[in-house]
Amino acid sequence: MNQTPSTNLRGRGAIVGVGRTAMGNLQGSTALGLGLEALRLAIEDAGISKDEIDGILTHPGTTSREGANHYLRFSEAAGIDPRYAASKSMGGSTAGALVQEAIMAIDAGLATTVACVFGDAARTGGQKFNSPSGDPGLSWGIWGMFGPQANSAMGARRHMAQYGTTSEQLGAVSVTFREHAQNNPDAVMYGKTITLEDHQKSRMVVEPFHLLDCCLISDGGVAIIVTSAERAKDLKHPPVLVAGMGQGYTARKNEREDWWYLPHQKNVLESAFAMAGVGPEDIDVAQFYDNFTFSVLLWLEHGGFCQPGESGPFVAEGNLKMGSRLPSNTHGGSLSDAYMQGWTHIVEGVRQVRGEAGDRQVPGAETCLTTGRGMALNTANALVLTR
Amino acid sequence: MSAYEKLLPDTLDGSKPFWDACRRHELTIQECLECGHRRWPIGPACTHCLSTDFSWVGVAGTGEVWSWITYHQAFNSAWAADVPYNVALIRMDEGHTMISNIVGVTPDEIRIGQRVEVLFEDVTDEASVPKFRPVKP
Repeated sequence: MNQTPSTNLRGRGAIVGVGRTAMGNLQGSTALGLGLEALRLAIEDAGISKDEIDGILTHPGTTSREGANHYLRFSEAAGIDPRYAASKSMGGSTAGALVQEAIMAIDAGLATTVACVFGDAARTGGQKFNSPSGDPGLSWGIWGMFGPQANSAMGARRHMAQYGTTSEQLGAVSVTFREHAQNNPDAVMYGKTITLEDHQKSRMVVEPFHLLDCCLISDGGVAIIVTSAERAKDLKHPPVLVAGMGQGYTARKNEREDWWYLPHQKNVLESAFAMAGVGPEDIDVAQFYDNFTFSVLLWLEHGGFCQPGESGPFVAEGNLKMGSRLPSNTHGGSLSDAYMQGWTHIVEGVRQVRGEAGDRQVPGAETCLTTGRGMALNTANALVLTR
Repeated sequence: MSAYEKLLPDTLDGSKPFWDACRRHELTIQECLECGHRRWPIGPACTHCLSTDFSWVGVAGTGEVWSWITYHQAFNSAWAADVPYNVALIRMDEGHTMISNIVGVTPDEIRIGQRVEVLFEDVTDEASVPKFRPVKP
């Protein structure tokens, strides 16, 4: 079922405010409190008043207690009666999905200014990320499959067998993003460098993943304010336009032999590129969802940044480093900045396109790709951000 | 024998016939009576044609290792004594994939593409769990 990707929404929505709280081990924090703090920071960044927000889209944190009704409690706590509201739980692809929904709602006239919000006290809240894989009706915990590492490790092992990808190549991703975190004073791993040897010597968690193949567990909050490109012209910062966006899902994880390779991600990136009218060669900087090192390899292959099977050598050659062909996860990513389920990737993308990323600014960056992916690896989306 | 502390199958959502068959050491799957498609996991309707008419049919119980991982850390305390243990993704000859464990091997003896066959572990008086072992050449 091939459909011509839409270009109708190209550049019609803009991100005009971003806020991120302190992140890491924040004693006494709550998911709700962190989300509200992020909202305040994003409103300040946008230079608007709270009263202008008429849409609330939220991502319940793993320690949020409201479940599917989170948007109502959050709006109440923020003192906002929205015209448009919802919560989505798509794991690491929720952030991008909410920004996309905000743009659609605004374009349809259902809201004018939408705040997309996430907060989680995963670190101090004792979130162990140890729930069983599979589905409630057939839990893979029966066979000892617990925690999010498992699905990605399964894919990494097959990629290794099929293409000769190595643990050292995965380590190159970890070391590169840790280097990038040294330019980000807000990163949890700021001031803590690692070498490839450290990666190789770190303990095995779920083989083939070492500890340093895995993202952090963090407390923190992020908010992103979206409005129309038209309205954005009058606001404080030069608007960051969402030129392209795409979503995709491989729901049929048990009936598709290529589930491990996440075929939906290719569709996601093709859709986002087509809407924006760009190709991989036009991307100046990228923020790839990196819950585990291997995740980055698949994005590179699906986005056409390298050929299928060649992502291991591509990262080991240093192509993701600052000053190279495709500077990626310039904030340090989920591996070394903080694990905010992909939300910080959009914030970093906005800052790079605005040209306000300081020591880690990619010179002249005009086009940034951000990606998100979640659940049993089978949800994904992407945004192409431009000036 | 100490009590079995690992997660047991639940038999909600129409899965009781599957687990009853496991108890008899038979691996089964739902086959659509309208289009013949065999679906996995267990569900109320055909994933091709949405027909709700189906029968449970036996499958060969053979397949190949599509991928596998080794747990060096127990994320669930009931598995602590098993570390390091494997979890495998198995591509069944009928075309679907199952999650299970490969038994009777050390992790370095598992290979992608290896032929495996089902066996059943009677873990309690009520429950039997399908696992896999390498097919002898």
